[in-house]
Amino acid sequence: MPLIKKSPEGTSMPPVSAADERWEAARSDKADVSALAAALADERDPRVQEALFTALSRLATQESARAVLPFLGSDDSGLRTRAFDALRAMPDAAKPCLPQLLADPDADVRLLACDLARDMRGADGLLYALLDTEREANVCAAAVEVLAEIADARALPVLARCAARFADVPFLAFAIKIAAERAGARPARE
Amino acid sequence: VSEAAFLAPEEFQRLCDYLYRRTGMVFTQTRRYFVERRVRERMEATGATSFASYFARLRSDLDGEVEKFINAFTVNETYFYREEHQLDCLTSDLLDSRLTQKRAGETMRIWSIPCSTGEEPYSIAMRLLESWPHVDAHDVEIVASDIDTTVLEAARQGVYGRRALMRLPPALIEKYFIPSGAESWQILDELRQSVRFTAANIVERAQTLPHGRFDVIFCRNVLIYFDDTSRRIAAENLYENLAPGGYICLGHTESMSRISPLFEVCRFKDAIVYRRPPEASHG
Repeated sequence: MPLIKKSPEGTSMPPVSAADERWEAARSDKADVSALAAALADERDPRVQEALFTALSRLATQESARAVLPFLGSDDSGLRTRAFDALRAMPDAAKPCLPQLLADPDADVRLLACDLARDMRGADGLLYALLDTEREANVCAAAVEVLAEIADARALPVLARCAARFADVPFLAFAIKIAAERAGARPARE
Repeated sequence: VSEAAFLAPEEFQRLCDYLYRRTGMVFTQTRRYFVERRVRERMEATGATSFASYFARLRSDLDGEVEKFINAFTVNETYFYREEHQLDCLTSDLLDSRLTQKRAGETMRIWSIPCSTGEEPYSIAMRLLESWPHVDAHDVEIVASDIDTTVLEAARQGVYGRRALMRLPPALIEKYFIPSGAESWQILDELRQSVRFTAANIVERAQTLPHGRFDVIFCRNVLIYFDDTSRRIAAENLYENLAPGGYICLGHTESMSRISPLFEVCRFKDAIVYRRPPEASHG
């Protein structure tokens, strides 16, 4: 019956590569925000990037959140997604950055910022402001989708103004109708 | 102290923050009853007359209170042959796949974390003996770890009631257990010695890394208790503890794809599992 017939020989570890060393550095408790941010700027290995983002999420300071922000606008979709997930994992630390992200010149960044607001208590006010000025229908749609989940009846006038501005965009009109129904069904919070 | 006023909001928050920092587990207002009930039990057990005095005892780890406190918060309800399709997958696909990657004579290593009171690692051992044709030709090391030291001791003892054995055919109970009381059965010594039990917190790299690399990890129904950051840390720890090409089995409601991009999805006949990419060592 015994499953081991001899003493286990221990576990062999493969030779250490340069990327292994960078992974190890990223996972070290000693790494600070500036070192992690600098490493992230040069890193091309997705696995090491992931470890660096996790390390920044674990620190969960405003400084570590700010270190992630530049990657939200990356042309590399993998890097952009990892940056988004890292910020989503530290909502309290990332929340002060939200106004800056919602005003970013890059519409893709503004769109991701709307999604980040979903997990940030009290961020609905920022989305109301965005809906009054945002020119990209896709960004408004992202904000409307989040508001459908988190907003209360105070969102109704904002949603109505947005619907009027984008009267010729059918998918947005439909999304706003759904969001208004859901937000209107929730009593306004103090 | 009345039920309604047992913990003030700031006390509840302080306690949940502490629990998160120590274990990675997240408790919110929705689980207030669960939290308060356990705090009340620990206060009664220690004779603390107020939350403040209990929390001071906890923070100073008086008489090992931290360990007892964490033990009270872990969920240990499980049974033999739970999610049996993954055990089928282990013996019909995962181990054979790993054999092709291993040197002749190299030990096959399997990790059960968290192992709770031992039902999972003993189920793995039994299933290997029953269903893996190569079990006599290869050494298999089963390591079982949990943050809760009380359940580890129970796991080492290997004594179970009828409820834990409900999924086992009578023939297997007859073969691998001996009666140890009116309604309890103990795992045979030989099988107990096939599993090595260790204490480990899955979000503490200093505790996971020394366990070395495994061919298959069972990590079921624990990541659901963590927040995003703790899940990511746990995923990276598990990644480090997997041999390249090694597999990880999660609970049926869990998805590694939603936690970390480090792993690839593998669909087998009996189960969907995750794998550390074979080529990775990095770079």
